[in-house]
Amino acid sequence: MIENNILDVQNEKEVVVKVRGLCKSFDSLQVLKGIDIDVYKGDVVAIIGPSGCGKSTFLRCLNCLEDPTSGNIFFEGEDLADMKVDINVHRQKMGMVFQNFNLFNNLTVLENITLAPVLIAKKNIAKTKRKNFFIKIGNLFRKNKKPLIKIEQTLKEVKENAKQKALDLLAKIGLEEKANVYPSTLSGGQKQRIAIVRAFAMDPKVMLFDEPTSALDPEMVGEVLDLMKELAEGGMTMLVVTHEMGFAKEVANRVIFIDDGVIKEENNPKEFFGNPQDERLKDFLAKVLI
Amino acid sequence: MINWAEEWSSFYKQFVTLGGYKRLFDGLIATVEIAVFGLAIGIIIGILIAIVAVMPRYKLLPKILDKICKVYVAIFRGTPMVVQLLVGHYLLLPLLGVNVSGVFEAVIIFGLNSGAYVSEIMRSGIQSVDAGQLEAGRALGLSFWSAMGKIVIPQSIKNILPTLGNEFISLIKETSVVSFIAITDLTKALKLIGDATYHYFMPYIMLALIYLVIVLLITWGIKVMERRLARSDRK
Ligand SMILES: Nc1ncnc2c1ncn2[C@@H]1O[C@H](COP(=O)(O)OP(=O)(O)OP(=O)(O)O)[C@@H](O)[C@H]1O
Ligand SMILES: [Mg+2]
Repeated sequence: MIENNILDVQNEKEVVVKVRGLCKSFDSLQVLKGIDIDVYKGDVVAIIGPSGCGKSTFLRCLNCLEDPTSGNIFFEGEDLADMKVDINVHRQKMGMVFQNFNLFNNLTVLENITLAPVLIAKKNIAKTKRKNFFIKIGNLFRKNKKPLIKIEQTLKEVKENAKQKALDLLAKIGLEEKANVYPSTLSGGQKQRIAIVRAFAMDPKVMLFDEPTSALDPEMVGEVLDLMKELAEGGMTMLVVTHEMGFAKEVANRVIFIDDGVIKEENNPKEFFGNPQDERLKDFLAKVLI
Repeated sequence: MINWAEEWSSFYKQFVTLGGYKRLFDGLIATVEIAVFGLAIGIIIGILIAIVAVMPRYKLLPKILDKICKVYVAIFRGTPMVVQLLVGHYLLLPLLGVNVSGVFEAVIIFGLNSGAYVSEIMRSGIQSVDAGQLEAGRALGLSFWSAMGKIVIPQSIKNILPTLGNEFISLIKETSVVSFIAITDLTKALKLIGDATYHYFMPYIMLALIYLVIVLLITWGIKVMERRLARSDRK
């Protein structure tokens, strides 16, 4: 039995994501061979490892962009690896930031940020209305009338709130004047910061970053890392695949080294970089830390 | 040598005095009808097949549907239009025992044929949109169909519409084969005018010009559309 206790007694810290025995194969290629990790609230976990070791695959398995071959991913009290779970609901609380930004090209910056919150609210309102309809019909035959489910916000309010929130966030990153432009007119750094804001606007419990600065011109790396640092300081739980060792050292509180499909080493940044144990990690660090 | 005066006077007599223009007009309508309704049916079939083609393939049903669609596309892309018309007219209709008007029959067969091409146009239009767009939508918690509808399909329209215009052009031109199943379209109408006088010069010049004008009009329409789409892309 795998225990799925949200409160880890020893650390008295809330576990946000708990991964057990995560394996992923593409046909005959076994990429992940059993990953175990507990991510606590407020953790910033830097994930490093050689190219092709499965860092992206690991992140993509967490929100089931790739379906895990086996293992468990506990999040919000459910096992996401279970195909019966409504993954769309959990993805809303697991923001993802991609290497190539992936802003929606057909939408303005503002629409990029508000699209998902509004669509999802719309769907939920429709669902509630449907439920209420059946309750009403049922009430025709009930003595004790069942109360209707209250709709917290009308669609109009949802839209206004989402827009206001998006504008506030854009103002925070100094891009409010870009609200109504299309992504094709933005620089890489602006795109990535907006992509981060888009994920953040969903109020995620954890954010996944897959090499968020790798596609950027060098002079834009800083602005993106600064925003991520701000998020980290604000207490956001983050998993960050990165080649930016500076970020791993400075911002992360845990660094993990993935190699050969497993987590070979994990430590706090000081020990991780100052006193690595695994031979492959020593090689790897020697190469990247010139 | 061509006797211009005689060509012209005999054509004028057939066309204007004896009312040949009415025939031409009917033929033109038949041609446009077959092409327009054929394309409309083609678009409906094309959308359905494209949906099947991009559906996630976990379950059995999409797999089976996809196989059926592949066979359909292979058949209609793998045989000439005339053959499809002839098989439909002389084999399938008698077998089914239905009695429909010639134009209706042609619309159906052209629609089926066009559906095979349109489905490919739509599939490749959708696949030309970067996969990261769908992924980003799904990662935000949108359902597959929401993400398709709000993000991927709107972006694919830009690729699909112009190619669809080209499909319309080839459809218009291809309708000239319907005379094989005894429909009087534009081509047949002008041939009949020529047949009546044994003077073919004017009718066929006119025929070529009419097709040309139609195609140029559509081409112009596509250009306008492309420019509009390009403009909405950058604001
Ligand atoms: N969809 C897929 N189908 C088949 N093989 C895949 C697929 N995605 C990834 N792989 C393979 O899995 C392995 C791990 O890929 P992954 O992208 O996770 O590596 P990575 O650690 O992120 O590398 P990089 O640092 O280059 O981004 C690679 O060998 C890759 O070729
Ligand atoms: Mg990667």
